[in-house]
Amino acid sequence: MNPAIATRGLTKHYGDVRALVDLDLEVRRGEVFGFLGPNGAGKTTMIRTILDEIRPTAGRAEILGMDTHDRAVEIRDHIGYVPGDLAMYPNLTGRDMLTYFANLRGGVDWGHVRELAERLDAELDRKVGDLSSGNRQKVGLIQAFMNRPELLIMDEPSTGLDPLMQREFQAMVREVAAAGRTVFLSSHTLSEVQRVADRVGIIRNGRLVAVEAVTDLRHKAIRRIELEFGTPVDAAAFAGVPGVRDVVVHDHRAELAYDGKMDALLATLAGRYDLVDITTREADLEEIFLAYYRDDG
Amino acid sequence: MLATVFTKSLRDRWIGVSIGAVSMALFLVYGMSVYRSIDLSIYTDLPESMRALFGIAEGTDAGRLAYDAIYGFAGALTLGGLAISIGASSIAGEERDGTIGLLLGNPTSRLHVLASKAGALVALTVAGAAVMGLAAWVVPAALDVDVAGMHPAALLAHMTAAALFHGFLALAVGAWTGNRTLASASAAVLMVVGYLAVGILPLVASLADGARAFPWYYLNGSSPLVNGVHWGHLALLLGGSAAFAAAAAAGLAQRDLRERSEPVTLLDRLRGNPMTRGMAERVAGSARVSRIWAKTVSEHQGLVALTVLVLLALGAMLGPMYTVIDEDLRTFADQLPDALLAMIGFADLGTPEGWYQTEHFSVMGPIAAITVAVLVGGRALAGEERDRTMGLLLANPITRRRVVLEKAAAMATHVTAVGAVMWLSTLAGSVLGGLGMRVANVAAASLLLTLVGLVFGGVALALGAATGRVKVAVFGTTGLAVALFLVNSLLQLNAELAGWARWSPFWYYLTSDPLSAGLRWGHAAVLAALAGALLVAAVALFDRRDLRQAG
Repeated sequence: MNPAIATRGLTKHYGDVRALVDLDLEVRRGEVFGFLGPNGAGKTTMIRTILDEIRPTAGRAEILGMDTHDRAVEIRDHIGYVPGDLAMYPNLTGRDMLTYFANLRGGVDWGHVRELAERLDAELDRKVGDLSSGNRQKVGLIQAFMNRPELLIMDEPSTGLDPLMQREFQAMVREVAAAGRTVFLSSHTLSEVQRVADRVGIIRNGRLVAVEAVTDLRHKAIRRIELEFGTPVDAAAFAGVPGVRDVVVHDHRAELAYDGKMDALLATLAGRYDLVDITTREADLEEIFLAYYRDDG
Repeated sequence: MLATVFTKSLRDRWIGVSIGAVSMALFLVYGMSVYRSIDLSIYTDLPESMRALFGIAEGTDAGRLAYDAIYGFAGALTLGGLAISIGASSIAGEERDGTIGLLLGNPTSRLHVLASKAGALVALTVAGAAVMGLAAWVVPAALDVDVAGMHPAALLAHMTAAALFHGFLALAVGAWTGNRTLASASAAVLMVVGYLAVGILPLVASLADGARAFPWYYLNGSSPLVNGVHWGHLALLLGGSAAFAAAAAAGLAQRDLRERSEPVTLLDRLRGNPMTRGMAERVAGSARVSRIWAKTVSEHQGLVALTVLVLLALGAMLGPMYTVIDEDLRTFADQLPDALLAMIGFADLGTPEGWYQTEHFSVMGPIAAITVAVLVGGRALAGEERDRTMGLLLANPITRRRVVLEKAAAMATHVTAVGAVMWLSTLAGSVLGGLGMRVANVAAASLLLTLVGLVFGGVALALGAATGRVKVAVFGTTGLAVALFLVNSLLQLNAELAGWARWSPFWYYLTSDPLSAGLRWGHAAVLAALAGALLVAAVALFDRRDLRQAG
């Protein structure tokens, strides 16, 4: 079976700005693929290129085995799309807007629309322009999911959703994948992608720097750790521990970046030092890039 | 330029004001150079009905004609329109965009914001008038046109005061309601109705004094170009402006600010009412969103409804009016040279057809049809890109070509509606006045008008398709239309240049005198072919372009 999305040397320049550089990517059928990168990395450009909104400077792309330019209309029969920075027709109600797109698609299963609206607790009888950004996003999600597309392409889809709704949305994404359909979603938050995606592509400055299974990434993921001790410590205490880097020690406190199992770190410290408190947080994307993709950036 | 609310307001608006003022200055150059080269004796016997509408005074000469026709008519409306747009946006525009809360989140009071906005309105209007004033001084000297004894500065002072009056009205309505559309529409209607009333009412002796009821009368009622500033009239306009400013302050101080919100339309209310929901739902809900064409048509109901009402009222009124002023016109009709008649399409003013051609079809009709065509056509594609909905729309299984064609069909629907109303209103006037105009001939003129509208709608559509920018499409096409209108009317006055007038679409509109002579199929075919070619261009341009991401 053809891959859901395949790009070969996809390149897009805006004047001197290289928004996409020689992008080779393959998204398999039935997977949830997270497209990860900081703001301005080229995520939206890539999505707009494969949707034929903008035309590549070089290279080509296929969706479900069809060329994204030559068979653009046919492709759109099989996809659902949530643009980043979603804007809709402010003077229409949510229901009007869904009816409009349903008409352009030649019909939709309204039972399914109702079900989606209930799950997301969406208000379809108010004008889109009067909705808060989160509630507007829900209408955008419904229009993408409503025709049970074979491929969902979503650009930062959980923007504005509260945590409860984000969880519901993630459940919906997993259900789509479980039914053998494909989801491609872009995000700048690692944690969101980690929760739903099977594989992750990381893009930076228009270049695809890595494609990894989420399990591998999680294994690799470095954390920022802050340790507080009862007595002053010396940086030398962490010297031989594998995975530790960037150690900064201030008297009783130590800060470091760590890539490995917590078990190993604690085993090194326990008993030898008077460990009072540990605070850990996920390293942000930039730290991961610095740690792993220094050469590619 | 971002130091204060005042300077930011200047920054947002100076381009529009500059374009308006510089265009008028260029038209003055153009007008004076053309008028200088023709025999002006033809103007002296011009019927009053025509002069009044164009603001041309009796016993005129080249300098005076150019000042009156270009500044007193087009310049005054332009400056007024700019002031209204600035006034309406001042408070209500910030509310519509949802930025007023952000603005007032800073340590600044509502009154301070209002004063800054009012200051910007005054500064921009005066600056626009100053640019025109500079041209009024330089152009006649450069072209060696005699302007001795004339007071263009006085005319500009009156123009500025009239513009401020309408601009501050828009500001006050916006400050009281927070509704930008209502603010600009109410001031614009007062200005346009005033312009028409001041042009038409004096033609009927018993109604002549009625013109004084309209603020527009005090712009040119005292002929400031000849007589200098009329301080009483000027004080009336400026006093009115100050009163509106005070009203704006009072209104803004006591009102809850609006959040960014969608205006509630009549259909929304009907949908909300259980009694009428079923009917309204069919019209506003399912029918409106049945296809791109229907949705696009529904987006411009307000504009088209207003245009239709104004044209209906004007067209129906002109018939009975003809019977009242019939006699005066006949005495002038024989003396008019062909060259001058080019301006109004060789109308014979002594006949009902000539009367309607002059008063209804030569200026009002094209303004209405082209305004509707340009606004609908210009926003058709570029509007969806500006509003960032084009990506969502094209994520549906439809071709770009279909989007262009359906949007073009919506534009054509509106323009055809304007043409149909011109036809109906003229027939209504003909029946009311017992003028016995031929149905088919009126249809011919209306058809040609529709085609002229489609040509400029096509230009706007193609510019929008090529650039994705509403401003380029709307202002570019409007500028082109005004220039081509002048090319047609002014070039025909000069025998050597008359042939070039055929390059203007307007030449194919009234030159054949369709109201008297019926349709010249060749002329209709030229316009239709032009509109068709522009549509093909729009499809091709839109198909091969990267969509814009925002703004």
